[in-house]
Amino acid sequence: MTRSSTAKTLGVLAVPCLVAAGLLAWYVTREPASALADSPAAAADPALIQRGEYVARLSDCVACHSVPEGAPFAGGLKMATPLGAIYATNITPDPSTGIGAYSLADFDRAVRHGVAPGGRRLYPAMPYPSYAKLSDDDVRALYAFFNKGVRPVAQANTPGEIPWPLNLRWPIALWNGVFTDAGPYAAKADQDPQWNRGAYLVQGPGHCGSCHTPRGLAFNEKALNEHSEAFVAGALLDGWYAPSLRNDPNTGLGRWSEADIAGFLKTGRNQHAVVYGSMTEAYNNSTQFMSDEDLAAIARYLKSLPGDPKRDGPAWQYQAVSAATRLEAPGAHTYVTLCASCHGLEGRGQAEWMPPLAGATSALAKETASAINITLNGSQRVVTAGVPDAYRMPAFREHLSDREIAEVLSFVRSTWGNHGAAVQAKEVAKLREHTGPASASPIILQMR
Amino acid sequence: MQLRINQTTYEVDAEADTPLLWVIRDDLGMTGTKYGCGLAQCGACSVLVDGNVVRACVTPVAGVVGREITTIEAIETDEVGKRVVAAWVENQVAQCGYCQSGQVMAATALLKHTPKPSDEQIAAAMVNLCRCGTYNAIHTAVHALAAQAPKQEGA
Repeated sequence: MTRSSTAKTLGVLAVPCLVAAGLLAWYVTREPASALADSPAAAADPALIQRGEYVARLSDCVACHSVPEGAPFAGGLKMATPLGAIYATNITPDPSTGIGAYSLADFDRAVRHGVAPGGRRLYPAMPYPSYAKLSDDDVRALYAFFNKGVRPVAQANTPGEIPWPLNLRWPIALWNGVFTDAGPYAAKADQDPQWNRGAYLVQGPGHCGSCHTPRGLAFNEKALNEHSEAFVAGALLDGWYAPSLRNDPNTGLGRWSEADIAGFLKTGRNQHAVVYGSMTEAYNNSTQFMSDEDLAAIARYLKSLPGDPKRDGPAWQYQAVSAATRLEAPGAHTYVTLCASCHGLEGRGQAEWMPPLAGATSALAKETASAINITLNGSQRVVTAGVPDAYRMPAFREHLSDREIAEVLSFVRSTWGNHGAAVQAKEVAKLREHTGPASASPIILQMR
Repeated sequence: MQLRINQTTYEVDAEADTPLLWVIRDDLGMTGTKYGCGLAQCGACSVLVDGNVVRACVTPVAGVVGREITTIEAIETDEVGKRVVAAWVENQVAQCGYCQSGQVMAATALLKHTPKPSDEQIAAAMVNLCRCGTYNAIHTAVHALAAQAPKQEGA
């Protein structure tokens, strides 16, 4: 092959390569079309703003876009990822540091497509794969609220700490192409309006799957709707096991009625469980503000999702025994001394105020993270209508050794019919390190 | 709601989830039961409900409606409680005394259920905290009570 023919071949190859590169560059930086591009900007209609505030509650925007004691929606929450920390942004209507300069179409592209003005891709820590399902009307209302209903705060965003080249945003466009569905939620004709409303709330604004759906290797949620059995089937995240929301009697909602589910989301507690871990924030900031109709719709939809006996195992049955009669068992003495005052010698808790450990998901799931984490670190206050409740799980981090925690949890997970696996001291040690206030290797990836 | 405390019926106006301790101390003025940690960890707030020791700081008041509550104020009307208090005096257990109403409750509940407890049962029941460190005196008093043959058994 002569030099000129080589050059010619390369030249011929270069053309499609350049075209492909050009197409790729266009694809990964383009601003996707917004369905709301031609909509007139909304006036300051109080009803629309109020509607938008409700959608913001449904979507729990404040959970990530605020920090404790910070101004609402001014951003700043640090999220640790395996690659480095990122920080949630200011979404107040401040024109220079917030989103005050966003058009409705810009806002829509950010919320439903994960694309900021100029084509920069957002990290999927922003749950836009779920928000993609928001209706046009809800996005319009949300825009009105963030424009007119939120006080502008001049607070510059904190740059992310992910190093180059991992901080390049354009590959996220390819991730989006593979792992997100396009278009808002489409009602299913064979289901009634209540079911469809529930499906919309769970898959869309509620973004329940962000925590409760297991993730794949690319940190993608394995399913975004009920077509897959992986949808809200329970997942390990953030140092907690977010339980199944399907009809699994052990790790899910199989033993809960629709009224139990709606009541839990409205009051933070019922006879089966009290919110803890990341769900406390979801309750404090979001679910308690949902209307009774919406909560009933969510309950209706979740109860329509079948469980999986292969994954969930044989259904739990209560076996009556007093911990005081099993004092010879390792961990029983610790249970009687430190746990029984609230959770009861019979493991049944106290009505809806103190959760039972007999039949608790944390005592039945093969994942031990939630049981260990709440024992080490306790629970946050459940705040209903601004009033903190009187009871909370204390932190035993400074009080009990890894072995003592492993033994008492193994006792709980093998008593009263509970059949969760024993907890190992090394599992406790690992979570103790990862959840330590001064840990050098913090828990990976906070997503809410 | 109506509460039955020390054989007296009280009408109280409280939210269902109010801790029993708040009602006993703040609403009814019976301050013998103490607030310690508020987290069920120290035992200073121990009272008897149907003869079982509970920690009043983590007992929602709605859960004890219709049940018989006994506080330190009436413990000596109980046969076992009277013996426990006598043993406490005999052994001069108290120092500052803040935790002692709870300690007496724990000992009374233990001996009502188990008149002759083993060392292991005593260790499992007598877990209230004492900042003065009166544990040795408590240990002596409870073991002395366990060693006494209760009159009922001899009858």
